[in-house]
Amino acid sequence: MSEAQQDLNRDLKQLIIDALGLEDISVHDIDDQQTLFGEGLGLDSVDALELGLAIQKRYGIKIDADAKDTRSHFANVASLAAFVTARQAA
Amino acid sequence: MSWIPLHHLLRPLDAPRQVTEQPSLDHAELCQQALRLAGGLQQRGIRRLALHLDDAAQLAIALLGAWRAGVEVLLPADLQPHTRSRWADQVDLWLTDLPGDANLASLSAAPLSPADLDLERCRISLCTSGSSGEAKRIDKQLSQLHNEVEALERLWGERLGDAWIIGSVATQHIYGLLFRVLWPLCAGRGFERRQWPFPEDLQRASRAHAAFAWVASPALLKRMGENLDWPALRPVRAVFSSGGELPLAAAEQLHQRLGQWPLEILGSSETGGIAWRQDDALWQPFADVRLSLGPDGALQIASAYLPAGHLEHSADAAEIASDGRFRLLGRLDRIVKLEEKRISLPLLEQALDSHPWVSEARLLMLEGGRASLAALLVLSPAGLHALRNGGRRALLATLREHLSGHCEAIALPRRWRLLRQLPYSAQGKLPQAALQAIVQAPRGMAPEVLEQQRDAEQLNLRLAVSADLACFTGHFPQSPVLPGVVQIDWAIALAAPLLPEAQRFAGMEVLKFQQLVRPGDELELALRFDAQRSKLYFTYTCDGRACSSGRIVLEAACA
Repeated sequence: MSEAQQDLNRDLKQLIIDALGLEDISVHDIDDQQTLFGEGLGLDSVDALELGLAIQKRYGIKIDADAKDTRSHFANVASLAAFVTARQAA
Repeated sequence: MSWIPLHHLLRPLDAPRQVTEQPSLDHAELCQQALRLAGGLQQRGIRRLALHLDDAAQLAIALLGAWRAGVEVLLPADLQPHTRSRWADQVDLWLTDLPGDANLASLSAAPLSPADLDLERCRISLCTSGSSGEAKRIDKQLSQLHNEVEALERLWGERLGDAWIIGSVATQHIYGLLFRVLWPLCAGRGFERRQWPFPEDLQRASRAHAAFAWVASPALLKRMGENLDWPALRPVRAVFSSGGELPLAAAEQLHQRLGQWPLEILGSSETGGIAWRQDDALWQPFADVRLSLGPDGALQIASAYLPAGHLEHSADAAEIASDGRFRLLGRLDRIVKLEEKRISLPLLEQALDSHPWVSEARLLMLEGGRASLAALLVLSPAGLHALRNGGRRALLATLREHLSGHCEAIALPRRWRLLRQLPYSAQGKLPQAALQAIVQAPRGMAPEVLEQQRDAEQLNLRLAVSADLACFTGHFPQSPVLPGVVQIDWAIALAAPLLPEAQRFAGMEVLKFQQLVRPGDELELALRFDAQRSKLYFTYTCDGRACSSGRIVLEAACA
């Protein structure tokens, strides 16, 4: 993984922690592949809504509302990072 | 489109009638599947069935099938192990999406004949999610649901027309069950099979239909972003919101984007719908609902959606206007009495929240001494600006003045605390004890340590300068500035982990104050102790600019 990718992953973890107010969790506690919602980190759909808003704001991107299953990008940090990178390039 | 009463839904129809799509399902096929399920349930001697199905059409089939077979239905809030064990002895069979449970296909057998459902005998039980203790079971007769969907159609049937019904809420609870399944089924409106909790999904489902309506909740409506194609969504026939209070700002934003106000539904699992409103502070009771106030001022409900003769006592204080509409004043436990005057804390909080200087407000009764109110405030950036440039006294005077337009003088808070954030627990609640502790304690002098990092002899801290520090009152009344002596105090106190025990201040060297520190600032403090010279080096910076620095000479306290 390139340094830029690592930075983005770490950024996203911090964003998740900040946007969702996750106390007692640090970026080191979140694995790139760890499931964020349901099992795993235990976030729910309202967290997903919050995170969606935060990511759009932070990275100046838009979640394409016409694409199918956009929320599948929210599975874990790695998929989120890929999503952000793709949208930034778009 | 013709209306079929809830208990006549299994009657054979002459014409096709679409229920849902993906895959497409016609009403006749839905009835066939329901009757086959009824046969299967009867064959197995099932009397009590727990249902938890994500697909709204499957749920419709299961409900009609169970009722046709005379089987009582329980809708558990979830399928967690403790939920299942809670209901285990009240249920013969679980029909769910989980692999280990029965499903529609596995229960299908020779169909029973179509027949009308008995409005009194058919039963359904809903479960409250149990956030306030043990999950509660609420038993209903089919007649209660029947009365409610009839009332909904009379109110909004024309407006909805042939709208496709799209929901963001689960069908396990009363709101989703009525609005997403039973009402459209009776009305002949098509509905989405799945729950769509995200805005993009809602939009995609909407765009597939010329006419559509949303069955949503505040959780979704207040988080809909700019990424949606709002002009394309404007044809939405109605936006229903229920399950909790929709913040006014969210309603206004929807109005701006969609050209229409959301329809808010007030209700509960126990009562079903109580009232509705649209761009109004007052609630309009549904036609079959009769309201009164209890001796404690709380709303009491009698309605055709409750068991006959039942009077439901709510915990919501209300005020009923002469035309029968009413205003909610908040939960009873948030209505306090001050010198015989009843004060609604939520109303005062709303009044404070509406001031541009306030980002969040929480009021509480000050315990001990004469009863009065205390206010916990999180200032907005504009509020912080006002504090920095006018001082605490002027800020609070303005807010008190603003509030006095909304309440009697006795309700004006006597004690104010300005916080960086309210002390929310992990569950999003504001524990009364934590709030009470904050208002009972005198305004502090200590910084809030946000972060600290030790690196050998060096300690780096990130500090929040509370807007509430006691020293701001006098230093200076109209322009609060953190006194230099307080900065030195903080440096010595926070350096404790670096210092040998029992040191006392012996003097200062090269002290420099370069920039003012003001309420709400975030500071970086770098501390380094030179043990040989017994000197503590400190540097405060704010946004990368030096505020102050110097060397504090220390000596052993006990000679």
